[in-house]
Amino acid sequence: MNTYDIIIVGGGPGGSMAAKTAAELGLKTIFFERGRKPGEKNSSGCGLGPRMWKEFPGMMKDLTPEKCPSMRAGTAARCYFVNKEDKVAGYVMSRPTESVSYEPAKSWITMNCYRSEFDPWIADFATKAGAELKNSTLVVNLLKENGKICGVVDEHGEKYKASIVIGADGAISMVAKQSGLRTKWSQDQITVCPQYDFQAPPEKIDDIMGDETLAVWWGSTFPASYQVFFHDGFHQGLGNWLTKWDKNPLFYLNKVINLKYYQRLLRILEAKPRELQSHLLPWLQYPYNTHTDGVILIGDAGGFPCPLEAEGIYPAMVSGKIAAEVAADAITFDDVSKNGLSKFDEIWQTTSLGDDFEAGEELYNIWRAIPFSPKETMTWFIPMLMEALGGIYDWSQPHPNRIRQIAAKIKSYMPQALPFMMKYVFPLVAKIFEDDLDKMMDPQKLMTALPKVMEMLPKKKKRRRGT
Amino acid sequence: MEIRRDELTKHISGTGDFIKIDQSKCNGCGLCARICIVNLWGIKNNVAFIREDYKEKCLECGSCYQVCEPSAIDFSYPAGGTGVVYEQG
Ligand SMILES: Cc1cc2nc3c(=O)[nH]c(=O)nc-3n(C[C@H](O)[C@H](O)[C@H](O)COP(=O)(O)OP(=O)(O)OC[C@H]3O[C@@H](n4cnc5c(N)ncnc54)[C@H](O)[C@@H]3O)c2cc1C
Ligand code: SF4
Ligand code: SF4
Repeated sequence: MNTYDIIIVGGGPGGSMAAKTAAELGLKTIFFERGRKPGEKNSSGCGLGPRMWKEFPGMMKDLTPEKCPSMRAGTAARCYFVNKEDKVAGYVMSRPTESVSYEPAKSWITMNCYRSEFDPWIADFATKAGAELKNSTLVVNLLKENGKICGVVDEHGEKYKASIVIGADGAISMVAKQSGLRTKWSQDQITVCPQYDFQAPPEKIDDIMGDETLAVWWGSTFPASYQVFFHDGFHQGLGNWLTKWDKNPLFYLNKVINLKYYQRLLRILEAKPRELQSHLLPWLQYPYNTHTDGVILIGDAGGFPCPLEAEGIYPAMVSGKIAAEVAADAITFDDVSKNGLSKFDEIWQTTSLGDDFEAGEELYNIWRAIPFSPKETMTWFIPMLMEALGGIYDWSQPHPNRIRQIAAKIKSYMPQALPFMMKYVFPLVAKIFEDDLDKMMDPQKLMTALPKVMEMLPKKKKRRRGT
Repeated sequence: MEIRRDELTKHISGTGDFIKIDQSKCNGCGLCARICIVNLWGIKNNVAFIREDYKEKCLECGSCYQVCEPSAIDFSYPAGGTGVVYEQG
């Protein structure tokens, strides 16, 4: 029998961070990865936000192009708006705004790199701290004695004992299932994300994209699709909840690739498809059932991707670190019961993870209702937005006429826009600013105020000079 | 641009069977076939079947398993060190 203090199933960013922390705290630690090395089973955007540098400065300064050649950071992001005729109706490119104060967030918005480089890089910290990494090993079950979880069993029947098991095994978590914490996600708690990787010459990417690091293609006939640029290539992917697919996900991704505009971009970037990937990504309002006797779930296994845009690497690392610290305490005080491990929830809820989930339900709802409901929402949202942004570019009319036309058109979207705002935008605003806006939220007041606002939009042309 | 899907995935052989279907539980809803981006599922006589060569094609995303409400699909990952490899994931 192999005996450890702590066993971690999964060698992704969550598992490696837990293993690093546990080993540093003096625990005899092992972590398992089913791939030949960490990262080769994983697919992500994969954009790392500046808060990684804020939270883990010592580690992140070690992330260099020598160790991670695919790295590319950029200061700008672009949103393309694609209408229901599949035309790019417009785009907005933006850089960090004046309210951004934190460095490096002012200098770049995401640092992108491939998981095949990032995951081994982070696993190295764990092995250097003394944790044992067992690659090419699938963990198939939890080891139980008298009904109590006390370790794991691998695919060869080899047993490993420890008083605590951390489930860092991603979206389809064996640890969650065998510990009874969760059989499966419900279909509205999980998304599937197909993704192409395209290869392109680095100098083309730099010339054409400049300092852009990512783009979101907001579609009216496909769910929002992201594009992330690396040193010598880029990802184009999209995702949606499993309840939302009425056709094969690749049908929708191919729609993006086949946009005329996109094809032109591929040509000028000299881009060629290099890899096709598909991965699940949990995306829920709030993590639940995160622990039980002798078990803690972290990262994707615990449902930690952030509720607004499912950024998951940072939450996996933070939850992994907390889980290892809680485990170390539990071992010291000889209480690995569910009750003892409930500190895990208490602690993560006080960190930036907890802050993100504070408005989890509202963020999840609004996001789900906009880019991920293309037919229901984006078909009116995009023309309305473009009317406001680009309506003025029409020189066939006197300008005042044109402005009236634009206002009338925007007004015509109000039957869709107003209920949408009441259902999704106001609850979010009210939640974030807490009770300040509670009064505004009274639906009766809103209904009396809004028609007045509507009346303020001009209906008739008023003559300035005499007739 | 024509994208040749088959050329865009890489697999290491020796996975063993890791997806099983219990046809008695299947209600023929077809969701597995709809969700699988490499089209490894089919429906015949109102029950699902998985293509014989799935071990060389599967991306191990687990969507078929996750989407199947009556839990007719049993999914475990392939043997350690085998199956799909993402070099630019
Ligand atoms: C398409 C896509 C784009 C994304 N983009 C971003 C992004 O831009 N930024 C961001 O922050 N997040 C992004 N995410 C989310 C992010 O990838 C995940 O949240 C993150 O990887 C979670 O880390 P983890 O360690 O919890 O799990 P994982 O990274 O999934 O790691 C789990 C590991 O466990 C191994 N494993 C699983 N089961 C077993 C077993 N039984 N035995 C042994 N090993 C096992 C797996 O091989 C895997 O290496 C994206 C996700 C997807 C799918
Ligand atoms: S999803 Fe399940 S029930 Fe539906 S066809 Fe596939 S196997 Fe059968
Ligand atoms: S795991 Fe994914 S790729 Fe494999 S058969 Fe199921 S849906 Fe298809």
